Amino acid sequence: MKRVLLRDPFFWGCILIFATLLLLSVGHTLFRDGQVDQISNRYAADGTFLATSPLEPSSEQWFGTDRSGNDLFQIMIAGAKWTIGICFTVAFGRILLALLIGVPLAFRGKTLNTVIRTVLDGFLILPISLLAYFILVTGLFFASPEDIPSLSSRVLFETGLLILLGLPALLMYLVSETRHLLTQEFMIVARTLGGSSAYQFRTHIWPHLLPTLAIVFMQQFVQTLMVLIHLSLFGLFFGGTLARFANDVSPTMFEWSSQFGFYYFQFTAVSWINHLFLIPAISLAALVFFGNLLTSRLERAYRLRREQLLFTEPVAQAEAAATQLTGPFDSVLRHTPKEKL
Amino acid sequence: MVSLVIRKSLQFIVSLVVLLCISALPALIVQLRPNFSNYTEALKQQVLFLTGIEPILYYNVTAQQLRPLLPDLQPFIQETLIIFSSALVCSFIAALVYAFFFYRARQRTRSLLKQTTRVLEMVPDLFWVIFSQYIIIVLFKTTGFDQIEVAGGFADSIRFLPILTLSLTTLFFFIKWLTGQIQEEESASYIELARAKGTNANHLFWSHLIPNLFYRFYLFFRANVITILSSLVVIEYTFNVQGLFRFVLSNPDLPVLLVTLLLIYLPFFLIDLIVELCIPNAWKGGVS
Repeated sequence: MKRVLLRDPFFWGCILIFATLLLLSVGHTLFRDGQVDQISNRYAADGTFLATSPLEPSSEQWFGTDRSGNDLFQIMIAGAKWTIGICFTVAFGRILLALLIGVPLAFRGKTLNTVIRTVLDGFLILPISLLAYFILVTGLFFASPEDIPSLSSRVLFETGLLILLGLPALLMYLVSETRHLLTQEFMIVARTLGGSSAYQFRTHIWPHLLPTLAIVFMQQFVQTLMVLIHLSLFGLFFGGTLARFANDVSPTMFEWSSQFGFYYFQFTAVSWINHLFLIPAISLAALVFFGNLLTSRLERAYRLRREQLLFTEPVAQAEAAATQLTGPFDSVLRHTPKEKL
Repeated sequence: MVSLVIRKSLQFIVSLVVLLCISALPALIVQLRPNFSNYTEALKQQVLFLTGIEPILYYNVTAQQLRPLLPDLQPFIQETLIIFSSALVCSFIAALVYAFFFYRARQRTRSLLKQTTRVLEMVPDLFWVIFSQYIIIVLFKTTGFDQIEVAGGFADSIRFLPILTLSLTTLFFFIKWLTGQIQEEESASYIELARAKGTNANHLFWSHLIPNLFYRFYLFFRANVITILSSLVVIEYTFNVQGLFRFVLSNPDLPVLLVTLLLIYLPFFLIDLIVELCIPNAWKGGVS
């Protein structure tokens, strides 16, 4: 799998895009202190007034500005680390917890696993975005800026919640995947030879699980991003919503999905297709697209590797061994000269 | 049979308890901290609602008063059900037709089809919504055609675009699974045998391949129904459909959550039961 991925230009392209976004965003925080320029009016060289915010995209402000005059390009750069960071943390947290809980569980008996499956099944009927909305709506709507608790507590709370809400589905998947591996022949042999559970996991299960986990990681990444987008559409921005009046809501940080939801709410005031709406929408669509592309490249590499393992080598070896009955248990490929193959 | 009844009733009771616990979850968090006494209080309240000791009420904004939830909820449920089921039927039929063409296609056409669907399935549901609305508006601006609604209201229902967008998202979801399964199944020995006996390719597809995939397809659908439902939530919200999820979002109360959870869980529990009883054992991969 690694070999296929190393030669895959699409894979490297996606990694490059994610890395560039993160580097730019972190650099923006480090060197510019996370500040975003505010330009309220645009003037010509001779001082005549040209336009007021929101300004259209131009050579000076690449993506234009929003209604308060914030440079949209800088907002997007500042927000990238949040969006990518949250999805990354949530996906990683879910996988880590699912591994810690799921793998010991998979080694236990069938009855316990059936009970756990029945209990967790209840979590798999309501969409995460809806459940998250219900839980967050009381805690993360603030009437005035003074009510807002510290940034770290809000971020930790919401990230933790997103990790926990997605955990049951992943746990069930991981347990069934591990249990499936445990029924394979090589695992029966490993158990018969007396390998402890920890040894079995480390030596036999982990190498099989790792490629699947890489794919699952990217799936969780995209899924989290979609949940964030859905939540912000419902008016619940990441890190809390400042709702001064019924319809005057604004996000508390520059994060992509929140910006998207924020500008979506301004439909009634401005024309429908404008840069304020399009830029976050297109950026998010691109992020989801690249996330999905990365997933599909990982899946492709996994499939190619599995096909290679399943069909070519064993079949070729077995057929060749059958024809060479003098030493049927010798490795065939080593003995057969290359020209004859 | 007796063991099935015991198993299913046990499963039902456990799920009911779990759903109750989930429905009280929003009360667990008070000011970003877990508050367990609040949670148990809410749990007790939910049990009272469920057993019918207390009537389930909600605050109707238009009427400015508390009204009983269940009779009022009926038109919303109906709307959601219409959209969900028609989208499912549409995408299922379309996916089957696609799978048939894919099965009969040559290698080159196949790889072309695969590439196209692989790109299209990466498009998130929300952007189908916005894109379809945009197309309809552009169509109206250029030709004056105004027969397609882009958003619903209290009085008029919107059906076409929600069904279309939901079908699209589910279609690519189904297609991905079906094509993968067909390719895997093609090398199965029963297909080889049927082909060797000279069975017509159309007959092979409809009478051997599809029945064998049917039960597995149902399992796949059940495992991923939450993804389809979450698309439906967003579609209802953005198109302003007067449906169940839109109602839930505008009334985020605990009893509403409990009722919604049960409304989603019960039909699926029944369908699961029917499928388990009705689908022949041979279709499930067992010996009939």
